[in-house]
Amino acid sequence: MKYLTIDTTTKVTAVALGEDRRLVGEGFLNTTKTHSERIIPMLDQLLTAADWTLQELDMIGVVRGPGSFTGIRIGIATAQGLAQVLKLPLISVVSLDALAWAGKGRMEDVVPILDARKNEWYTARYNWTRGAEKADCLTPPQAMPIDKWLEYLKGLDRSICFVGDAAEKAKGRIEEVLGERAVILPEYISLPRGAYAVSAVWQRWQETGEGEQVEPYYIRFSEAEVNWAKKEEARRSEGHE
Amino acid sequence: MTESQKSNVVILGIETSCDETSAAVLLNGRDLRSHVISSQITTHQKYGGVVPEIASREHSLHFQPVVQQALDEAKLTFRDLSAIAVTYGPGLVGSLLVGVSGAKAMAYAAGVPLIGINHLEAHIYANFLEHQDLKFPLLALLVSGGHTHLILFEAHGQYKVLGHTRDDAAGEALDKVARTLGLGYPGGPQIQRIAQEGNAEAFNFPRAMLEPGSLDFSFSGMKSAVLNTLNSAHMRGETLSVPDIAASFQQAVVDVLVRKALLAIKETRVKTLLLAGGVAANRLLRETLDQKLAEKGVCLVYPSPIFCTDNGAMIATAGYYHYLKGDFAPWTLNAVPGLGLV
Ligand SMILES: [Zn+2]
Repeated sequence: MKYLTIDTTTKVTAVALGEDRRLVGEGFLNTTKTHSERIIPMLDQLLTAADWTLQELDMIGVVRGPGSFTGIRIGIATAQGLAQVLKLPLISVVSLDALAWAGKGRMEDVVPILDARKNEWYTARYNWTRGAEKADCLTPPQAMPIDKWLEYLKGLDRSICFVGDAAEKAKGRIEEVLGERAVILPEYISLPRGAYAVSAVWQRWQETGEGEQVEPYYIRFSEAEVNWAKKEEARRSEGHE
Repeated sequence: MTESQKSNVVILGIETSCDETSAAVLLNGRDLRSHVISSQITTHQKYGGVVPEIASREHSLHFQPVVQQALDEAKLTFRDLSAIAVTYGPGLVGSLLVGVSGAKAMAYAAGVPLIGINHLEAHIYANFLEHQDLKFPLLALLVSGGHTHLILFEAHGQYKVLGHTRDDAAGEALDKVARTLGLGYPGGPQIQRIAQEGNAEAFNFPRAMLEPGSLDFSFSGMKSAVLNTLNSAHMRGETLSVPDIAASFQQAVVDVLVRKALLAIKETRVKTLLLAGGVAANRLLRETLDQKLAEKGVCLVYPSPIFCTDNGAMIATAGYYHYLKGDFAPWTLNAVPGLGLV
């Protein structure tokens, strides 16, 4: 079964071709150009290089967040557009689940951290049991204040392997709290890669066996919604007095 | 391009620049086979205006179904298309990117050309959908929530901006006054509605004409005059008639637009004025222009109201003329939120 995957949830544009559980080709760009400029040309080059055509594909996979709101939507709109025209099933995976594959085979807990601004990370916690097909999710995806999350991880008394686009930048801060128990993988392993999306999408396909309705996974509400809800709450509590 | 390629041109037009997700299928530039508009107005109403992040989220959810519905209603598939046209600016960047990304993937997968459309140009082209016999040169008055432009349109794709607003757009000023009057969003239609019950001569708001001969606009001072009038009445403990204020302000805005349009006609000696943009649906503006232009022997053309607000049909119409010229976009097409007309 042949498929392509798209991950634009961070600054990295990652497009890959997969055949069953095998990675066939991947494009990775971590430059200042936008996803919108890179994504179709990258896909086109990959297909040409692999000597594949769009018509040979059996499935489209996309990473649906969390991450950059705009990036999430670009990836989904592109994947949906391709799937709609080619009449292919569409499969989506969570960015943090995909990143867990960066730490496949590690003994430590694997903790992907993605920059969520406002001093927060999108994060989750996984563990790979020896020989497992998929990482166990120990803490589900959430947006977490950085200090609170590091304190929580410290309290677990386990070794933690950090991956994701925030890992390198936060190295000092992480080691300050977790010391020797923190492992930070180099960026070329730790940033989102097509290889991880291919693995996660194939795993997901094994579970579902069919396409699905894909919606963005933001975790966070928009600021306007949050502010409006706060105002509503204030209005309601005033009304009760 | 061969003659047969020009004889059965089917364009899918896609618009996501602000708060409408819209798609249309157009045959040969005149035969609108389908037109789907999914409006977000009710979603944004509780915030008193368009919230960019929420608009993008809504586009992301509605984009694919809207396009599919447009194709289904036209009883066509992607394989029947000659090209896909999409708005790439100006507009809200997050919203534009949903349409641009989706349209690009669709065109790439369908093996058809992609056409990048300037939203302002498309508003003007909305006139060509219902009037194919328009003769160049044309003059266009583009009035919307974001834009107030007087444009000399010399040939397909050739524009000269004769004047534009130096501060607020006409629609923006109407929106702000509507909000202050508690009329809600979107302001233009609300002002028009309540103005019917008011006296347009009750208040004499200033008409900002700028330097003699200038074709530029300025609505910010006119808007402030309304707010000052309201404030000082409030200080005196008086309440003013909302319909009178709405009617008088609408009259002032229309007067300025009409005077500037007449000045541009005098200078350019163009025989046809195209009205375009959301405010082009304003009845007072249409009627006043109609009457004043008839006196001068100038023809006024405007789109049906449905083609004045943001819509996919105008994108497809502009796309058709780009298609005839073989004017296609590369796969690197990006959203340009501040895109100008020239
Ligand atoms: Zn518009």
